Amino acid sequence: MKILQNSDVPIYKQIAAQFKEQIINGEIAEGELLPSIRSLARDLKISVITTMKAYELMTEEGLISAVQGKGYIVNPQDREMIREQHLRILEQHLQNAMDEARLAGVSPDELVEMIKVLYKV
Amino acid sequence: MESIISASGLVKSYSKFTLGQLSFSIPKGFSTALIGANGAGKTTLIDILCGVIHASEGKINYFGESSDPDSPAVRERVGYCAAAGFFPTNWKPKNIASSFEIAYKNFDREKFARLCGELGVESHLAKKQLPMYKLSDGNRMRTALAAVFARETDVLILDEPGSSLDPLMRDRLCDKFREYLDRGDGEKSVIFSTHNIADMENATDYAVFMGNGKIIETGFVDDLKEKYIIVRGDPEKFPAARELLLSYSSNSTTFEGLAYAENSEKLRLLGAVTEHPTLQTLSVGLLKYAEGKR
Repeated sequence: MKILQNSDVPIYKQIAAQFKEQIINGEIAEGELLPSIRSLARDLKISVITTMKAYELMTEEGLISAVQGKGYIVNPQDREMIREQHLRILEQHLQNAMDEARLAGVSPDELVEMIKVLYKV
Repeated sequence: MESIISASGLVKSYSKFTLGQLSFSIPKGFSTALIGANGAGKTTLIDILCGVIHASEGKINYFGESSDPDSPAVRERVGYCAAAGFFPTNWKPKNIASSFEIAYKNFDREKFARLCGELGVESHLAKKQLPMYKLSDGNRMRTALAAVFARETDVLILDEPGSSLDPLMRDRLCDKFREYLDRGDGEKSVIFSTHNIADMENATDYAVFMGNGKIIETGFVDDLKEKYIIVRGDPEKFPAARELLLSYSSNSTTFEGLAYAENSEKLRLLGAVTEHPTLQTLSVGLLKYAEGKR
């Protein structure tokens, strides 16, 4: 895990985002125990309240659950639902791309061609 | 949130200074900073909490169990370290080790030696040991910290532990805090005072701001950062903005101040820019606010 101290993105969100990525791509398996909030704070050299907030955010998002006396474990993930979420975000970005394309006079075919080229990179 | 130490109606009266009334609750399992200007009452409060002096009025509760700072059970669980002149000046590390062994059941000599090594000072095992008065302030503090960390405690109460340390050593002190909290897994807590929070921000979870013998503000650091904003604006808007600012400074080029985040919209309508504070900028703003209210 790597965090930036002076980023615009708060540290707790950076932590949550990196765990989320690892959970979604299966690097951290369902049912696995995350490091305790205090050991993570120790390792990352940040305050306990920051790692606590990261875990709270992940709990709200349904990625992990607090288990009494054990810590936080990774929930079974509904990959279909997560894919849905990503598709919605993708649509939004495509909409933005289309708006720019119109302003720049780029035709739909040209836009598709551009995406194909970029996809290969 | 469970508390490690709580107090109600705490007062200590001196002829020229009164601490209190203070009522507060320090959360268990976290690192709490007492932040205040010189003379705010931080050391007086720490001395009361550690039984060095007694409060004139009020009650303290330790670990949700005892209200007697002098009880052996409380003494055993509280690790106290004073800001300066903690040990008799002619003492050497070996005297510290022997006295701690007598005073506390759970002092670990080997751990003391190891911690002295980690903190870069001579231990009781060194062949040639210097008395405390021959050490620099920083090395005296390192020796005292090694001694208190070599005990098995449930709360550390440290008066200005970072002030005499160099940046590298202060960073190591923060590591020690986090290791201690991790080892306790929610059961151990750290309380420390400071008038310079900048280097300790990443080891601070909860903050108690003090000014002129009173508590100005308390809370978890992330909540406090949300509650306040730092405001900057053009000097011609300063008169209109002033009533929304808790503390401020201004000159012919710009003005800067601290405000409640709930007023950010009004301040932005005055053309000001706002951002959430760091613990350091929040401290300056709040301490200035306390100063202004005197």
